[in-house]
Amino acid sequence: MSSVALITGGGGGIGGAVARRMAAAGIMVVIADYDGGAAEKVKSEIVAGGGNADALAIDVTVAREVNAVVADVAKRYGRIDILANIAGGSADTKRIEEFTWAQWKEVMDANLKGTFLMCREVAPLMQKQKSGRIINTASNYGVTGSALRTPYAAAKAGIITFTKSLALELAPDLVRANTVAPGPTDTPRVMEKESMEARKQRWWPQIPLGRTALPQDLAEMYFFLTTPQSAAITGQTFHVNGGVVMP
Amino acid sequence: MRLKDKVAVVTGAAQGIGRATVLMMGREGAKVVVADLQAEKAQTVANELHALGAEALAVEVDVADETSVKRMARNTFERFQRADILVNVAGIYYPKASVVDLTEEDWDRTINVNVGSNFLCCREFVPAMRAQKSGRIISLASGIGHYGMRQFSHYAASKAAVMGFVKALAREVGPDGITVNAICPGSANTSMPRQHRSEEEVMERLRATPLPHILEPEDIAGSIVFLASDAAAFITGQSYNINSGTYMF
Repeated sequence: MSSVALITGGGGGIGGAVARRMAAAGIMVVIADYDGGAAEKVKSEIVAGGGNADALAIDVTVAREVNAVVADVAKRYGRIDILANIAGGSADTKRIEEFTWAQWKEVMDANLKGTFLMCREVAPLMQKQKSGRIINTASNYGVTGSALRTPYAAAKAGIITFTKSLALELAPDLVRANTVAPGPTDTPRVMEKESMEARKQRWWPQIPLGRTALPQDLAEMYFFLTTPQSAAITGQTFHVNGGVVMP
Repeated sequence: MRLKDKVAVVTGAAQGIGRATVLMMGREGAKVVVADLQAEKAQTVANELHALGAEALAVEVDVADETSVKRMARNTFERFQRADILVNVAGIYYPKASVVDLTEEDWDRTINVNVGSNFLCCREFVPAMRAQKSGRIISLASGIGHYGMRQFSHYAASKAAVMGFVKALAREVGPDGITVNAICPGSANTSMPRQHRSEEEVMERLRATPLPHILEPEDIAGSIVFLASDAAAFITGQSYNINSGTYMF
């Protein structure tokens, strides 16, 4: 029986690449995304290529949706071996005095609370299985901070330490939890706002490896954290960023 | 096979983490230089690799000796004409001594072997990697380089220095397509901790991790092989902890 992975944000750039990478390795991937159409699209691609995939819509900030989706997936497939929380992000850049309370909460919810709600539902299943791998998504800004992104940096820093705490809590049941921290990555979402040419000018000179990340670069790290070669790894943060940040 | 036809040079390869690394690399298709101060043991490991069907060359090296390191590089290029991967595993973890009792000789020896070796080995292999516009360098640091350890100030300082060196070199050679990263193992099931602890103490420590998983050399080798593979092309300047959850920096 193949492993089952639940991937939030699976319809997006990084999430889609993670779903494709895991499916290529024979993992059954459940692609969950706020944008159900985007999830369906990734699913169709994977299925057309001979992989196993399912798609569904989810708002990870709403507890009852999260609970229903996790229960449904667990019922349908009997288990959840891998949870990749990739849903999140924030396009807002503003000075602190310009952020409204509602905007702060929106960024916190989409990133940190969504990760919490997903982990809260999936962790008990994994503990019962005595195996499981959770991979959460932070950002290099969660370590360095970023001017004009106070809520996003705070949420991502929160994910790093939340994951460490979760790792300690779940370790006795052989459930591992780690964080992947991307740097600047060329996803369709960011490239809607900034052209490749502009990204090259802004980022490439600052990055030792001379380019921004492709979603596939990140996907390899998520996939590695699901393999037996990573059996001794828990509570850690993996920066994949071409060297732009070396904590 | 993730390392098909890559040439990998691994120091400290006669035992423990180094040995596990070269065996895994051989299985992944790499041609391996098994470098170690202990020539006979290195030859035994090379023979193990031959038995797996992998190409291997055993080389005697003192990684803190400039002439010896140059000879290792010469032997590598004579036999394989290239070097794609350098893994700096060779290191020492002895003697145990308080700062006030530590001799200058022991301080120098630890720093030279644990981090001076990184400088000497990288200096020999970076030019070839630069010329081919690709290369992977992976150095063994240690969690002790982050959090320190009483009576091991020399070891802690040397391993923190490895992380600093890795970051600086990563910046220097990134534009040439070379990645440089460190692995920080926790206490692993090797001969190293047994140099100053009883068997009982060693096993107790190995079992005292949050994740009930005794850290074996193969666990470290798995991450080294990942960093050496194409999958890690965009990772550089990082220090990854592999420690069954002992600490989380």
